[in-house]
Amino acid sequence: MFFTTKFKTKFKLTIITVLLFLGLAVFCGVRAMGAPQSSAAPASPAQETWRKEFDDVCGKTQDAMSFSPEELTDLIRRCDSLRPQIEKLDESRKKVYLGRLRMCRGLYAYVLDEKNKEKK
Amino acid sequence: MNKVTMNKIIFVVLAVMLAVCGPASSQTGIKKRRPLPYEYGRVIIRNYSEKAGLAPVVFEHWIHRSKFTCRVCHVDVGFAMKAGATDITAADNAHGYYCGACHNGKRVVDGKTVFQSCSDHATAEDTKRCERCHSYGLKVASDYDFFEFSEPLPKQRFGNGLDWEKAEELGLIKPSALLEGVSIKRNPLVVQKDFMLNPKVAGMPDIIFSHTKHTVWNGCELCHPEIFVGVKKGTSHYSMVEITEGKSCGVCHTTVAFPLADCQRCHSKPVEP
Repeated sequence: MFFTTKFKTKFKLTIITVLLFLGLAVFCGVRAMGAPQSSAAPASPAQETWRKEFDDVCGKTQDAMSFSPEELTDLIRRCDSLRPQIEKLDESRKKVYLGRLRMCRGLYAYVLDEKNKEKK
Repeated sequence: MNKVTMNKIIFVVLAVMLAVCGPASSQTGIKKRRPLPYEYGRVIIRNYSEKAGLAPVVFEHWIHRSKFTCRVCHVDVGFAMKAGATDITAADNAHGYYCGACHNGKRVVDGKTVFQSCSDHATAEDTKRCERCHSYGLKVASDYDFFEFSEPLPKQRFGNGLDWEKAEELGLIKPSALLEGVSIKRNPLVVQKDFMLNPKVAGMPDIIFSHTKHTVWNGCELCHPEIFVGVKKGTSHYSMVEITEGKSCGVCHTTVAFPLADCQRCHSKPVEP
């Protein structure tokens, strides 16, 4: 009887230890696989909102000459509000997308400037 | 005077001559060797390589330009127009940016999987892979042989010795204007009209500027406003001195596109008697 109780207690302890060990291993494994988080890893939809806006704003550069000054002003404003969002990204993304944003905003501002000059 | 003393004197004289002539010749300027066709457009990238114990990267522009338009790499991927100005790091590449946008071991171009560039945890076994790009001063065999590649393409006199424009017209190269996952899918570009520019020098043939070709390859934002600030014809003036210094047309036409020595490619309108 004494031995059965002792065996049961030992058995329970072993199972608890094994479970704890497994739990820890799984936890650490997931952490190890996830860190450092790659910037190429798919981001959450909320994080990617800026990308949709970016694609929408900068996907119109080839039509820049056909936009009215009001439309161009609005596109420039949208570029300006994208900037702080891109600045929060990791270094690589920030470098790439700030450069792309600079070129796209630059074109709209340049066309707007030319159109305003024409008016005068 | 014995032979050893004589040798010492010769050595000292030669050393002095080298010390004096070196700086003197650099002040007067040494004519740069014209790059060979396969070297034209080559970029040596050495921002961080040597600090990491690797050879600098040798980037062959000719093979990349045959596969993608200028806009894909210089707008969508984000490579700067000036060598070394992109400040690419291994982490950028490993995370799928710059070189890593294509060189990720997954992307397929022309039916071939593009080899992976930098990775976060490179091991000694990766050395061979690293050396595919970090090859400056090393003897590394490339997947592409310039002479084999250029053999069927129409020839020109300068630069890479190739007429890239004609090669595309003939369908011998098909530079892609879109990089899946990186480029924005845009509406087709409105065809821009070619126009004429009058040179300042009398008797010099007028320049026929192919706006069509430039917009198809570059888009708008690659050139305007950072390279060309004027939209209206005649509002900006360009000089050959500035172009030679790498400004305006010189950004590309002194580095990767046909060089300035090929005068008639731009000054192409026949002079009327």
